[in-house]
Amino acid sequence: MANPDAKDIESLVTLFNQSDWDEMHLKTDDLEIFLSNDPKATGPTQMIATATGALAPVETSAQSADTDEAKITPAGADTTVVTDVADGLLAVRAPNLGTFYRAPKPGAPPYIEVGQAVEPDTEVCLIEVMKLFTPVRAGSAGVVREICIADGQMVEFGQVLVIIEPRA
Amino acid sequence: MPLKKVLVANRGEIAVRVIRAAQALGIETVQVVSDADRDSLAAHMADRTVVLGPAQSRLSYLDPKLLVHAAIKTDCDSLHPGYGFLSERAELADLCSDHGVVFVGPTADTIDALGDKLRARAIAKDAGVALVPGTDSIANVDQAKQAAEGIGFPVVMKASAGGGGRGMFIARDYADLDVSFDKASAEAEEAFGDGTLYMERFVGNARHVEVQVLGDGDGRVVHFGERDCSTQRRYQKVVEEAPCAIMPTDARAKLHRSAIQLLSSLNYRNAGTVEFLYDVDTNDIYFIEVNTRIQVEHPVSEQVTGADLVQLQFKVAGGEPVDFDQSHIHVNRHAIECRINAEDASNNFTPSPGRIATWQPPRGAGIRIDSHCADGYLVPPYYDSMIGKLIVTASDRDAAVERMIAALEEFQIVGITTNLPILRHIVSHPDFKDNAISTRWLESSVLADFQQ
Repeated sequence: MANPDAKDIESLVTLFNQSDWDEMHLKTDDLEIFLSNDPKATGPTQMIATATGALAPVETSAQSADTDEAKITPAGADTTVVTDVADGLLAVRAPNLGTFYRAPKPGAPPYIEVGQAVEPDTEVCLIEVMKLFTPVRAGSAGVVREICIADGQMVEFGQVLVIIEPRA
Repeated sequence: MPLKKVLVANRGEIAVRVIRAAQALGIETVQVVSDADRDSLAAHMADRTVVLGPAQSRLSYLDPKLLVHAAIKTDCDSLHPGYGFLSERAELADLCSDHGVVFVGPTADTIDALGDKLRARAIAKDAGVALVPGTDSIANVDQAKQAAEGIGFPVVMKASAGGGGRGMFIARDYADLDVSFDKASAEAEEAFGDGTLYMERFVGNARHVEVQVLGDGDGRVVHFGERDCSTQRRYQKVVEEAPCAIMPTDARAKLHRSAIQLLSSLNYRNAGTVEFLYDVDTNDIYFIEVNTRIQVEHPVSEQVTGADLVQLQFKVAGGEPVDFDQSHIHVNRHAIECRINAEDASNNFTPSPGRIATWQPPRGAGIRIDSHCADGYLVPPYYDSMIGKLIVTASDRDAAVERMIAALEEFQIVGITTNLPILRHIVSHPDFKDNAISTRWLESSVLADFQQ
């Protein structure tokens, strides 16, 4: 849709109203439009719905501190190593297998950076499984010490994602 | 295109079985595990292991999105669903094909069509295969009573959306229908999300016989003989054998022909099993259902034909040339399989998870063990209780029974309670030796005196 005009915008609004979507955020070179059914909405805060449609972010609480020993499978199999977390630090762990994303959408600022202060319900990343996006929260107040996973990397259940130094 | 890397989407003994077949064909393996299976034999054998989620099946093995996501992210070109779990859910097959992952099994459409029991019966009828005299869906008790009048008591009512005995009951008169209909419908609703029931004539002296088949997806289907799985408790198989030794030649030929007819009419692809009831008194065979997956008891068919069914699954899925000439398949021995379960038969079959201190299976000629267990293995409480299968092969049924008795005697499992004692009792029972058993035999004859 190059050089969108009033008619295009009207079409988009009509389509949105006819759909069962709650909100829509469309960004192109020429146009950015945000539509929502929620009168309290002030702008796009959620992930962009993908081309296949269904987006269902499920709230989960971040994993609590856990200093289990590393579980390394003996020679012959390759499993991802879950590293130790040093004394006094807390690990935020993956709630299930999936792809780790540092930001709400491609190109957007990441949820957190190293050194940032976080609260228990601060979102630190997204885990995606087949277009199902789950935000992961810090789980405790403190400062981000390490972000252990690269953007777009696959993580396994229980894998350490972020390390937080808790506020005293 | 021959498969190169498969995601093994199951656990326990079947995961080990699938990995073995893949390794024999040079296919790389990625084993998915729940948190509880990180240290399993399958995880050790596979080229790579990925941890899906917590121990609970619904958070790991039963989540099709997790499975397919893991397959894509580890560059698997295929996924083997094993048996149980999602192996007969069209959703998994669909998700695989949507994402370019080859599902090692039939197409989603086939799984869908044959997964609904009533639809499967209609398909069988169209293919000219005999059905147990029965009905379409029955909406309420009054309809049930009318139907029963037409069919003749005793009748059995079943759930159309699933099996395993849930939603199922036998009615000998109108009063039985009154008592059980609503309860069964509710049970089916709970188990399968669908309370629809249908009715069949109850065959009193029946054998559960099933035919192992393999289709190429283009209408060619071969069979690997039949299995007799009549020794059941609450519709769960306990002992299976191949072939069904008491079937006369004509009935056996009709059985095989019916299975092939049915599945080639659907252009069935990959492995499957067509289940029938064999009425011993009238020598009739009746279609029951199709299982669109590899089954627990597949080893007995492998043992008597020399085929490797799981390897064949991989070859069909990868479009490789497979010999579909029926005249090349011969059944010339007898095999018996006992399912080893972690349960306490003397205490109402309560599951008995825990750590196996000693795992000492029998050895020797004609003995095959399909299991993931070893000394020190912790049988987790989250999954079904089957911990292995003991399969014996011999020249004929009598020799196989003797071999099984000796093998069970030699089998030692220390640390958990298993069903070895009742298996020993079953296999050495005169009825079993004489092959005078039926689908009701275990519950009505054996279990009664075993409890003492």
